[in-house]
Amino acid sequence: MIAYINNQPYEYQQGETILNFVKRIQGEKSIPTLCDAPNLKPTGSCRICSVEVALKQGGPTKTVASCHTPIMEGSYIYPNSDSVQKLRKNIIELVLTDHPLECLTCEVNGNCELQDVAARVGIREVRYPQGANHLHRQKDLSHPYMTSDLSKCINCYRCVRACDEVQGQFVLSMAGRGFDAHIIKGMDESFFASDCVSCGACAQACPTSAISDVFQSKSIVDADKTRTVCTYCGVGCNLEVSHRGDKVISIRAPYDAAVNGGHTCLKGRYAFKFYDHPDRLTDPLIKRNGQFEKVSWDEAYNYITDKLNHYKNTTGPDSIAGISSSRCTNEENYLMQKFFRAVLHTNNIDGCARICHSPTALGMQRTFGTGAATNSVSGIQHTDCIMVIGANPTAAHPVTGAKIKQFAMKSDKTLIVIDPRRTELAKYATYHLALRPGTNVAVLNMMMYYIVTEGLTDDDFIRVRTEGYDDFLNKIKALDVDKMEAISGVDKDWVREAAIAYATADAAMSFHGLGVTEHSQGTFAVMQIANLAMMTGNIGRKGVGVNPLRGQNNVQGAADMGVQPHQGAGYLDVTNADIQAKYRAFYGVDVPTEVGYKIPEMFDAAIAGQLKAIWIIGEDVVQTDPNTQKVIKALENTELVIVQELFITETAKYADVILPGASFLEKSGTFTNGERRVQRVNQVVQPIGNTKADGQIIVEMMNRMGYAQPDYTPDGMLEEISQIVPFFAGIKWEELGINGKQWPVGKDGKDTQILHTDSFKRGKGYFEFHPFEETREIKNNGQEYPYILTTNRDLEHYNCGAMTRRTGNVEILGEDVLWIHPDDAAAKGIKDGDMVCLQSPRGKVDIKAHLTEDVNPGILSTTFHFPEIMVNNITSDEHCSEALCPEYKVVAVKIRKSKGKFKTLV
Amino acid sequence: MSENLSNLSFRKGIVDNLFEKMGDAAQHDGTPSKEELAALAEEFLIGKATTYGATTFYDFMKPENRGKKVYVCNGTACVCAGKQNAVQEKLQQHFKKEEIGHITCLGRCHENGAFQYDGQNYSGDSADISKIITKKPAGRDNYHVEALGNPVLTTNFSMQEAQELLSNALQKSRDQLLDEIINSGLRGRGGAGFPMGIKLKSCKEEASDLKFIICNADEGDPGAYSDRYLLEQQPYAVLFGMIIAGYITGADWGVLYIRAEYPDAVTITKQAIEALRQADLLGFDILGHKNFNFDFKIIKAQGAYICGEETALINSIEGQRPEVRTRPPFPTQQGLFLKPTVVNNVETLAALPFIIKNGGTAYAKMGTERSKGTKLISLDSFFNKPGIYEVEMGTKLATVIEKLGGGFKSPVKAMQIGGPLGGIVPIEKIPDLTIDFESFAKEGFLLGHASIVCIPKDFPMINFLTHLMDFAQYESCGKCFPCRLGTKRAHEMLEKALYDNYKIDKALFDDLLTTLKEGSLCAHGGGIPLPVRNAMQYFEEELAGYFVNL
Repeated sequence: MIAYINNQPYEYQQGETILNFVKRIQGEKSIPTLCDAPNLKPTGSCRICSVEVALKQGGPTKTVASCHTPIMEGSYIYPNSDSVQKLRKNIIELVLTDHPLECLTCEVNGNCELQDVAARVGIREVRYPQGANHLHRQKDLSHPYMTSDLSKCINCYRCVRACDEVQGQFVLSMAGRGFDAHIIKGMDESFFASDCVSCGACAQACPTSAISDVFQSKSIVDADKTRTVCTYCGVGCNLEVSHRGDKVISIRAPYDAAVNGGHTCLKGRYAFKFYDHPDRLTDPLIKRNGQFEKVSWDEAYNYITDKLNHYKNTTGPDSIAGISSSRCTNEENYLMQKFFRAVLHTNNIDGCARICHSPTALGMQRTFGTGAATNSVSGIQHTDCIMVIGANPTAAHPVTGAKIKQFAMKSDKTLIVIDPRRTELAKYATYHLALRPGTNVAVLNMMMYYIVTEGLTDDDFIRVRTEGYDDFLNKIKALDVDKMEAISGVDKDWVREAAIAYATADAAMSFHGLGVTEHSQGTFAVMQIANLAMMTGNIGRKGVGVNPLRGQNNVQGAADMGVQPHQGAGYLDVTNADIQAKYRAFYGVDVPTEVGYKIPEMFDAAIAGQLKAIWIIGEDVVQTDPNTQKVIKALENTELVIVQELFITETAKYADVILPGASFLEKSGTFTNGERRVQRVNQVVQPIGNTKADGQIIVEMMNRMGYAQPDYTPDGMLEEISQIVPFFAGIKWEELGINGKQWPVGKDGKDTQILHTDSFKRGKGYFEFHPFEETREIKNNGQEYPYILTTNRDLEHYNCGAMTRRTGNVEILGEDVLWIHPDDAAAKGIKDGDMVCLQSPRGKVDIKAHLTEDVNPGILSTTFHFPEIMVNNITSDEHCSEALCPEYKVVAVKIRKSKGKFKTLV
Repeated sequence: MSENLSNLSFRKGIVDNLFEKMGDAAQHDGTPSKEELAALAEEFLIGKATTYGATTFYDFMKPENRGKKVYVCNGTACVCAGKQNAVQEKLQQHFKKEEIGHITCLGRCHENGAFQYDGQNYSGDSADISKIITKKPAGRDNYHVEALGNPVLTTNFSMQEAQELLSNALQKSRDQLLDEIINSGLRGRGGAGFPMGIKLKSCKEEASDLKFIICNADEGDPGAYSDRYLLEQQPYAVLFGMIIAGYITGADWGVLYIRAEYPDAVTITKQAIEALRQADLLGFDILGHKNFNFDFKIIKAQGAYICGEETALINSIEGQRPEVRTRPPFPTQQGLFLKPTVVNNVETLAALPFIIKNGGTAYAKMGTERSKGTKLISLDSFFNKPGIYEVEMGTKLATVIEKLGGGFKSPVKAMQIGGPLGGIVPIEKIPDLTIDFESFAKEGFLLGHASIVCIPKDFPMINFLTHLMDFAQYESCGKCFPCRLGTKRAHEMLEKALYDNYKIDKALFDDLLTTLKEGSLCAHGGGIPLPVRNAMQYFEEELAGYFVNL
């Protein structure tokens, strides 16, 4: 396939546009463009990319826009003929008749694509007489992040397309026509009044400063740029951080990022100002007489060392426990578990995965042998059906959520959403199964029943790749679907149709979140999702699999690194003698052999007086773990509480010692995202005040307590980790590149996009049936507390909100509210905005009502981002029977209109 | 255009149609309320900016249309006839100024003085305003209809004939019928002249469970009313053409996109569709042909000239802003709701009864080597016998003017033929032209849809060009830079020259016209330079005073 550029023949690629062809051969700058953007489809509005094309050399030419014109075989392309150069110049001249010419004072001076193209086409004058223009348009400064100055708009549609094609929000469009056509937000309102989700895709796409942000992220200042990875969720977006000295200026999303390809969300792009917030802890603190006092690191270390040595030697190593942080790097998590195992000699180390995806890790390990996502998010491009169960990714994993939303909007694709709430994705879904919270297993079993009865199982896959199916099949066949229908509240015909859609798709993939795991049957539900995939052959190839949406940025990595009481670094069984020998040899010291405490067990032990010291890094257990008062009681009952944090969180208030850690912008290391991608976190600025990288704090403590550990460096740590964690064998800091590697990484450095392609980690996939069982929360309390509260997250805030509440996000969303169906509200005389008293057997909280039909009658929903509400005062002690993950998603409550606003009553 | 919006609109499809709902919402007040637009946005999951942005595009839905009660035609023929000021004055005796809007071409070019009130069109002698306001009589009009030779389009084609011809036609295979159309050499009558057979073939070859035949009845060219004639007087011919196109391509739906400016055409076509339904010619397994399912949907347009451009029309039906799409993909590959779609002009479709009845060869015998068949011509009120005339392609223009039109009523210096993007033909060029695509192209004009609007001798060419460019800038969709900015600047310069003693820099104006022609995304911006250049060439002397160095 040959086409000619300036009469020289070149090979072109199938489907290539002239623009891409010429750019590939002659370089990015060979043809100027304005409306073209790297992550958007061509739209053909600016016409600047016009070229001349002839069917034979020297033949008559036609002028075409190269961005949307495919190459004709044997055609002759003249990308810079005199006539197209003149055309470009004339178009730019027209543009400049309606554009301010005050470049020197413009935010994007020196980084403006219009300015650049005008210079390249050689504009020297605007010959037109003064005419109508739009230079009078007012700036929109209504929003905490987004800004617009549409007097600078050139109508290239890049923002509109970004809002549509990248985020899928449709907040931006044009209004009017012809010369009056102008960008609108919503129905011609401000950014703040519109439904904008502040992802910033439009600002990044805009070639001028017509749409920008308060950080002026496109302005050129004397700044360095550092690429790193977002701290906010398991998607793992790459960020390009501009900074001058130790001041972070702004953040953009790099287009060449494999994970996020030029996109990110308002948390990643804009919510970084917590890092130098006045509330940041800057020095170690020791509580004396009920007051925190600033102390030196030495004093803090000595204090802790003395106490820990004391407990180790008196009440024993197992009277000490640690909770590591999924917000910290792999290297830091590795060090923390190593500190507990090799220095303190206890397996009492756990992490926040316990309260989120521990059932995923356990369930998938039981079925497949590996407790991690089987596929990559990029599989969305190759799949025909997506099942999203118990997850609200457009809020909690926004970039993945946006990708699923884009998928869902395509008319030939199927999206199944299984969720009690009408989430944003549920609105776009082909099937929304709005089940009663706590009945995932019932619905999944129904789906499998119909797949069996409809004869849609992949028998070859089952025969060759799995075991345990016969017994499983008998139990599935015996399922009482009518009973399951009654229990779940989902029409069985809908379940049947959804099951058929999943089973008949060429490739079907599932994503699940905490709506699956945070249940008494969490692990079983995960196993049923895995079984569903196996029985339909949706494992081990592109666009299929079981893909947990990991919550925190490095929750995958924390577990990988051994932050679990039963498995050490690399998921190796701490009770196995061979493994113990391996760890002993590697760490050079004796290691503990008994399984340690999981987080809930730590609190139980504390209340029972058996836990003397606890070290918590970057986890606000008081605000975010269930049954707040019990957590508080446990902390109060622990003699030494060490909290390593950025801020004085609700948990830190109960600390005896606070160690100020460094934020993600202030340290290096690696995060592993939800698709097992180990990516480089690169330090952007120096740690603020006297803070230190968490890893360095742990290293210094290790040395103080007599274990020689070199200083914290990511390359040094990775070298150590690669020798003990089998699937990190080939990971080297220098070789991670800009997009990291997906584990397992062999010694040769090759990574793995898809797991279980030929065989499962455990050999054969294992089918194991579990019937639906009602949670004790409902069985014991359902009569007296007839409503079910389920908790979740909002887009604007991250977990306990300690970081996001200290950013502009709080101006967008400033409180937790209670979703309640209008019928329920009416029955209780509750109006929108009224305070509602929510009461469970554990206590009560007051919260503002938001009436919505997005929850069914009888179901309530809220978030836990704000300490003003502390909804976990009413969540329960119930947890997954297997993994001890708390049952946040089913809380029996009763409701009444509140008599007045009060914070919490217990 | 947005693929996502196409897909989301498709969820409710053509039956529960978004654009139609927008139009309905605009009925009561002239523009939909924000609540209605928000509800539609929620229903279709497309965001409020989408519904608001789309409705602001159209003359009959935009917020400025609120409270408009009567619309005065400002189409070229009415402007040249010079009757509209009087109409405006008379209306002002009954309506407040802000209640009077304008509308571009009601297709009453044969008698002018046209306006629309309460969904009815009035013109010429029918326009007794006080009577209209009190009694709202039907606004009938009369014009000559005549065929010079063998009538193809102007012969009466009844419901019964449609029924018979259809049952005969469906005896043949899809390929046989397609061959007839290919053999006929029929080229699109909307202006571009693309062979219909190739379009049908290309759509037929696409694999899709759903396809559409669209009749482009958005006859926006001021001066043209031949499509209005066909819809109002030969609706079965048009519908028959669509059914045949559906049968050949495997399409399930025939969508007629009819301008709001033609209310009678909508009513009459609707009645004709009902009659076909009563006769069991629509629905599933038509005439016993397994898997031949076909039905009609009328979509009433809302006032935007650009919707005559097929991709803008498709966007319009989807409820998107009717901005021109890039090609490829062509509509036959990804058209309405991204499904294979054939878009044909009314007149093209109306030729199918003849071709199916008499065979493609019989049709091809008429006309010239490359322009086959017959063509309808619309003559405006400057002719002694204004009306719709059917002539064989290749007929002399002079014959049309003299023999059919009966010559000019009053002195005319030029004609704009083929709509606003058609050429300005000075009367001295009449002998050089025959009615076919090639003759017009060769002489530097455009046959287009073959409407003829006369420019009277005393009508200054600068005024005409200013009017023309006003139309061009007003109707530009605004998507591509050259057209959005270029038509506006061209209009400004002409207006300044006309009113402000400003002289247009010829070099700059040349650059501007070239930029429009070479750079524009579609024929709107690309076509408008043609009449302007014609005028500058043939009326150089008259225009010289307005230019530097003309």
